[in-house]
Amino acid sequence: MNKWLLLLGLWLACCCAWAGVSITDDKGRKVTIAQAPKRIVSLLPSLTETVCALGRCKDLVGVDRYSNYPEAVRKLPQLGGGLDPQIEAIFALKPDLVLAASSSPGAERLAALGLTVLQLEPKDQADAVRVIRTLAQALHVPYPEAVIRQIDQEFAQAQALMPQGALGKKVYFEVGSAPYAAGASSFIGQTLSHLGLVNIVGPALGPFPKINPELVVRAQPDVVVVADSSFSAMVQRPGWGMVRALQEHKVCTFSQEDGDLLVRAGPRMGQGALLLARCLERLYPKGQTQ
Amino acid sequence: MKPAGPIALQVTGLHVALSGTPVLHDVDVSIPRGRWISLVGPNGAGKSTLLSAMAGLLPVQGRVELDGADLYAMPAAQRARQLAWMGQSEAVGDDLSALDVALLGRLPHQSWLSGLDANDYTQAEQALRSMHAWQWRDRYVGTLSGGERQRVLLARALAVQAPVLLLDEPLANLDPPHQADCLDLMRNLVSSGATVVSVLHEISMALQADDMLVMQQGRVVYQGPCADADTHRALESVFDHRIQVRMVDGQAIALPLSLRR
Amino acid sequence: MRDYIYQRPMVLGLLLSAATTALLLTGMLAGSAGLDDWHALGALLGLAQPDAGSGTMAQIVWQIRMPRSIGAWLAGALLGLAGALAQAVFRNPLADPYLLGSASGASLGVCLALVALDGSLVHMHWLSRLGLTGAAFAGAMLAVAMTAALASGVAQTLRLLLAGVVVAVVLGAATSLVLQMYPHLLQSMQGFMLGSTAFVGWDSCALMLAALLPGLVLAMVLGRWLDGLALGEQTAASLGLPVRPMRWVLIMTLALATGAAVAHTGLIAFVGLAAPHITRRMVRWGARHGVVLASLMGGLLLVAADLLARVVIAPRELPVGVLTALIGGAYLLWLMRRHQHRGGVS
Repeated sequence: MNKWLLLLGLWLACCCAWAGVSITDDKGRKVTIAQAPKRIVSLLPSLTETVCALGRCKDLVGVDRYSNYPEAVRKLPQLGGGLDPQIEAIFALKPDLVLAASSSPGAERLAALGLTVLQLEPKDQADAVRVIRTLAQALHVPYPEAVIRQIDQEFAQAQALMPQGALGKKVYFEVGSAPYAAGASSFIGQTLSHLGLVNIVGPALGPFPKINPELVVRAQPDVVVVADSSFSAMVQRPGWGMVRALQEHKVCTFSQEDGDLLVRAGPRMGQGALLLARCLERLYPKGQTQ
Repeated sequence: MKPAGPIALQVTGLHVALSGTPVLHDVDVSIPRGRWISLVGPNGAGKSTLLSAMAGLLPVQGRVELDGADLYAMPAAQRARQLAWMGQSEAVGDDLSALDVALLGRLPHQSWLSGLDANDYTQAEQALRSMHAWQWRDRYVGTLSGGERQRVLLARALAVQAPVLLLDEPLANLDPPHQADCLDLMRNLVSSGATVVSVLHEISMALQADDMLVMQQGRVVYQGPCADADTHRALESVFDHRIQVRMVDGQAIALPLSLRR
Repeated sequence: MRDYIYQRPMVLGLLLSAATTALLLTGMLAGSAGLDDWHALGALLGLAQPDAGSGTMAQIVWQIRMPRSIGAWLAGALLGLAGALAQAVFRNPLADPYLLGSASGASLGVCLALVALDGSLVHMHWLSRLGLTGAAFAGAMLAVAMTAALASGVAQTLRLLLAGVVVAVVLGAATSLVLQMYPHLLQSMQGFMLGSTAFVGWDSCALMLAALLPGLVLAMVLGRWLDGLALGEQTAASLGLPVRPMRWVLIMTLALATGAAVAHTGLIAFVGLAAPHITRRMVRWGARHGVVLASLMGGLLLVAADLLARVVIAPRELPVGVLTALIGGAYLLWLMRRHQHRGGVS
């Protein structure tokens, strides 16, 4: 009898523990989510993708204007951007959970209006995994491990794809035409180092420094990664004709959509790594030693 | 009344409209050479407009002749050498010194590429001295008082050394001693052969000129010597008899009449 | 009496030239490793060993650093010139070269060109061929043309100013609208709006020089007439100056100079306003030498800003527009305080 009572007690305790999930978000806010949210608003593309990867796409009622993956979310009402959320529209949707970036200015206002707000902003790979787990807790998704395992698998695939000749090569990743580079300490930088590439912009310079273009010419990267819309202007920059990577066309250009893959620290991180690995495989075909 | 002698400025059938509103109606005026004529009238009579039209600065219908030649057809540089104009309350860039402003009066005599020569400096100096403004030659006009600035601007007009001077409210902001100096100056200029037309709203000062042009509502209603009694009557009538012209020590003075009398 | 720092404009001119030359030479040494590149100078002077390293160094100095410093000087000179002309045309010491809407026009041009480059506006591919520089220049000129048209000519100062404000606001709103539709362009646009000398090459320098020379010649030839404008339009006309054609020529030169600067270096603030002011406080103003000196001053300001932008946090860069405001603003403030001390007349 006692054994059964004990089991019953344990089971009840588990239910209670499970019922009231208490989560601390990135801003230190403590939120209790009693049951799985059914009306979710997401104001950050990586969080939108995470929600869908965790199987709760149907529970999304509104997203920000930059969320564009998967296709289904494009039909949802757009509620402004991360920096300019439409408070009224969000409130009118009566969401039971609002997901926003840590840097979102509207989150305080929404919380003050009585909505449940979680602010999460993954900055690097470890962060991204943590956010997936936190979000899984909030959404009452029992097994986020499948998603995380998928990401790990994709990363492993990408690493396997990397040709021998590309390992240890110097890379320059341009994120903006000023020029802004993705440094070693940024999320993209981590992906690059995961693949065995060396970033010409070291961690000391910060995640996305605005660099002197001369740095690229002097550092002579072996590979350049840049958005295809900026590429045509890149070759015309004064002095950049000297950059060997441009002369030998060791360039990986990415489109607008692929760019999203690369910069979002979300469930598609691994696909971003695969994208880069495939490009490098093309640039350094197996059998060629360079 | 057509004055005798050579005519410096001849205005015929002048109509001027500003922003669509007609301001001057069918004005016929002859300004004789070597005389000082004051242009008077109530506020809004069109005095400044007539002066600007005579200076060639406004789009006009009708004809203005300077020494017999069409003023509006004349090249601007030639006109500028023969006719100097000073506007009412001129704005001056605060960054110019008094000497700079006076030297700008020499612009009509300068060709494109040449700089200022010694004669320009002499003329500017003379002009400033005659207005008792030479001591401020290196001071910024922005730092001068209203009356002081006015004297510098007058010096600018004098520096042009033009035979015809058109001055709009030359006595503005000047204190009585300097007003007297200015009037003396105009008399001297005239006696050395220049022609001066001054718009003055101080009637007593205006009465010290040689001749007077009386305007009302965009027309010239009277022209005659200041010493004539007819001129005085015309003046009183144009101001609705709110002024009275009296002779004091042989000089005509206009006294405003209060309604309470 | 205001006491000038320099009684003779020639002295100031020589000083500015000397300072500029010194900064240009320093610019050859300023690179992504800060100022430590003595071997760069050595390579140039042929003192270093002729190996691949110094060859590349010489190339870097000639292809990247020199055109950048000289380009910065030219852009600053254009802005200083335009600022002095704007202050003459508008008879307002607060006038800056962007008053006629050229800044907003250039921004919109760059914005549309970025969209076209993206491939989104396929039917406007001629815009992408024009390039960002051409689009910025075209945008600036079109905006000034719009302003002149709106003001029905350039005769009336107040109308011109108001038209310029209207054009600036409307084109600015259009730019914001485009950015709403293409939010990923925000970062590139921000780079343009803050101004940058990062990619100025020899061809940019040539184009800017071509825009600068007419302005300088104009200033020297029409200098006295520019001073005459300071007396007001009617008085200037009474002195025989052809006021209307003058204003057209001045405004076109102003637009050309501003457009050329903005096209190559983006919207660098404050140089056009500060350079003429600093010149006025240092030497007695006369348009003939004043405009040229303001131009030299603007060039010096921007060369200094560019140098600091490159060196201070090398290999990272500061936005050059921030530095022009800091340097120019600080110096102007000092000059103003100095005059306050000396007797209160300013």
